[in-house]
Amino acid sequence: MALGLLEGIRVLDMGPEIAAPFCARLLADYGADVVKVEPPGEGDPARLTGPFAGDEPHPEKSIPFLYLNTNKRGVTLDISCESGREVWSGLLREADVVVHGFSPQEAESLGLDYDLLAQVNPGVVATSITAFGLTGPYRDFSATDIVICAMSGLMYHSGDSDREPLRNSLNQSLYVAGANSAVATVAALFHRMSTGIGQQVDVSAVECLSTHLVQAVPFYDYMGAIKGRRPVRGSGFEELMPARDGYVVPSVQGSQPWSTVAELIGLEALQQEKFESGAGRVEHGEELKALLIEGLATWDRKPLFQASGERRLVFGMAQDAGDLFDCPQLRERGFYVEVDHPAAGVAKYPGMGPTLSEGPFEVRYPAPLLGQHNREVYGEELGYSKGQLTALKESGAI
Amino acid sequence: MASAPLAGIRVVDLSRVFAMPFAASYLADMGAEVIKIDTCDTRFMDTTRILNGPYPDNEPGELYWEQGGTFQTLNRGKRSLTLDLRSEAAIEILKNLVRLSDVVMENFTPRVMQRFGLDYASLKSVKPNLIMVSNTGYGHSGPWSNFGAMASALEPTHGSGAFTGYLTPETNGQPASAEVPNKIGNSYTDFLASLTAQLAVLASLMHRARTGRGMWIDLAMYQVGVSFLGEGVLDYAFNKRRTRRMGNRDDGMAPHGCYPCHGEDEWAVIAVRNDAEWKSLCRVMEQPSLATEHRFGNTESRLRHQGELDDIVSRWTSTLGQYEVMESLQAVGVPAGPVLNAKGLLTDPHIKARGLFERVEHPPETGLGHRAYLGRGWKLSDSEVRMGGPAPILGEANEYVLGEVMGLDDAATRSLREAGAIGETAAGARVPEVPSLERQVELGWTVSYDPDFQRILRDSGQA
Repeated sequence: MALGLLEGIRVLDMGPEIAAPFCARLLADYGADVVKVEPPGEGDPARLTGPFAGDEPHPEKSIPFLYLNTNKRGVTLDISCESGREVWSGLLREADVVVHGFSPQEAESLGLDYDLLAQVNPGVVATSITAFGLTGPYRDFSATDIVICAMSGLMYHSGDSDREPLRNSLNQSLYVAGANSAVATVAALFHRMSTGIGQQVDVSAVECLSTHLVQAVPFYDYMGAIKGRRPVRGSGFEELMPARDGYVVPSVQGSQPWSTVAELIGLEALQQEKFESGAGRVEHGEELKALLIEGLATWDRKPLFQASGERRLVFGMAQDAGDLFDCPQLRERGFYVEVDHPAAGVAKYPGMGPTLSEGPFEVRYPAPLLGQHNREVYGEELGYSKGQLTALKESGAI
Repeated sequence: MASAPLAGIRVVDLSRVFAMPFAASYLADMGAEVIKIDTCDTRFMDTTRILNGPYPDNEPGELYWEQGGTFQTLNRGKRSLTLDLRSEAAIEILKNLVRLSDVVMENFTPRVMQRFGLDYASLKSVKPNLIMVSNTGYGHSGPWSNFGAMASALEPTHGSGAFTGYLTPETNGQPASAEVPNKIGNSYTDFLASLTAQLAVLASLMHRARTGRGMWIDLAMYQVGVSFLGEGVLDYAFNKRRTRRMGNRDDGMAPHGCYPCHGEDEWAVIAVRNDAEWKSLCRVMEQPSLATEHRFGNTESRLRHQGELDDIVSRWTSTLGQYEVMESLQAVGVPAGPVLNAKGLLTDPHIKARGLFERVEHPPETGLGHRAYLGRGWKLSDSEVRMGGPAPILGEANEYVLGEVMGLDDAATRSLREAGAIGETAAGARVPEVPSLERQVELGWTVSYDPDFQRILRDSGQA
């Protein structure tokens, strides 16, 4: 059975890049009918973003684009030219959601500001994803992922205390903003079921990440203390530490006594009373860290992780993309799904985060080729004739 | 007046620690009635009630389990029903409450829920269209299904360390490299799981409203984490590339990084996207001759000379405050901003204007007064979404839930209290000893502290 939780909900994904497409991708995975609307010519700038399938730069082979736009159909449309505007109105009238990631100024020049959208379709849920939101003194500031990470407060806490703050990679600020947007959008859709009203959803990527500071903010608000990056002096527990073939995260969490932890690592010198309490591990942190390094040097990551889980401990390990791709846990849960894309070829793609009882994750469409569904959407669904479509194409609207 | 999206939805929140309690508090912000299942026995209490702090002025009081700032953030707007789940009477009450509710959220390991008889199959038999989130480290199926997990160890396990790590600068002609994984901090995976749970519950509510069907959401934090790093894993599927760490650099922008500013531990970030922005940066740095230097002429050549560029930019930023860097570069359209910490966020004028922090008034016995808490990263123009109040006092809703919601009479409630199934005081409580702030600085738990923080917050309009 296909996942149809949002079946019949029509979403227009106006792009660009990551945040709005990821929001729309999440809605698509839950069964929404997502049409990606790209400018004619080059399409979504994400198409130019590497890495590329086969490491061959090609607008249909961008890996971020392929991941972000699976399960969508795609059309091209210049929504700011006159003939394009009429087509746009037709699309908009049928839509339940419009999501975009343009700055307030760009959105206004494209005609994507909420007032204009609501004039055509008062019931639409219009989701705008920007770095700073649609109000406030920084609304028109320029931002990229690293600026969002920095100003959110997350980056200050990432990395080591004796070095500069460290950006978390793979544009996580934009993925987190996209997921928040999906939450807010579905909340608005659910509310619309009882009230009938559409509305504007104003998402600030900076503020989405700020909400992670559930420890650092009360530290200041309750006692004026500034929580920093991870101390480099600690005992080594809960941190990435070297094992024989890579890095692991030894952990004392998980409600097991210290003796279980010490026994797992297998170094006799760890079985000391002074390490049994949290306070003791703090006090003898440096000594403990040295012993820990000695003990971990006899372990490879995966056997240690396995042994930890079997003892009800909660160690972690640093896994790379290859480990994740071959991971027996993800394989057995059916996380990876084979997708056949006409330009990029066949590959196993990562699927959905949650596993739902109503049916498995399903790929209905590979990421769309530029303008792939123009005829289907404009011709079959909006009723444009062949001649009209040709004229639109000649005018550059599609 | 606008109404709340989830008005009339009742959520039973059995969850603990960070991810699911936070998700449930968001559902409360959206108007759901969220009933936190608490317990009076401190051995089994939600750990954020008793272990996390921080406490007002670093001094836990007699009612310390009501005073933790992290607990308050993660549980605002909920009600509290105490139940000792080891008693059959409590399990029976819980099942009857589920019958009258819409959503259950929990993060026990699979064997615990089965032992309590509270697994989805059992609860579905009392509430056929129940929506239930079961959050675990690795999911309810697969070889790792019984492994426990904490976000701080999960984060590198689901791959973030493959894409995060410091660069070792180029030396003796060796290119910069980043061999060592690093962590994002702040239990990153918890927040991904929280978002994923919220979305799954909302989509399931839409689905239930249209089909009458319930849903079981098997939420594996590990799997959720990988879904946020999908492009990295897909790169392996296509190209067999295992990692892509690049410190604070970017493969399409230069200069790009985190630069030291004038003050102690004060930093600003700058991202130059194209040649025009590079020329603007040179003008702002008052080094116009750099703009005409051939080796910095386009992005490709600037990427080849990043070490040199970082030195030039660092020399300039070192003389400035982090906000000066932001203002001078944003004035010419170059992406730049301060690396804010929590104090920076609480005192930033834009964050204040946006209303990210919401003020909550606490019951007098907590000694917390009014405090500012992190709200949401999004706003709905025509729905009422806001914090409904502070985190609940232990057992404050016992009478309400048992009496008004479930219709038990006073005698029945009294006998439950006498049998110890419900209560309002913590058993086995011992006021924790917390290291002084001076000691916390020595240990590296905090960087520094402001004795006059209340005045600083007042001046910023956040206290």
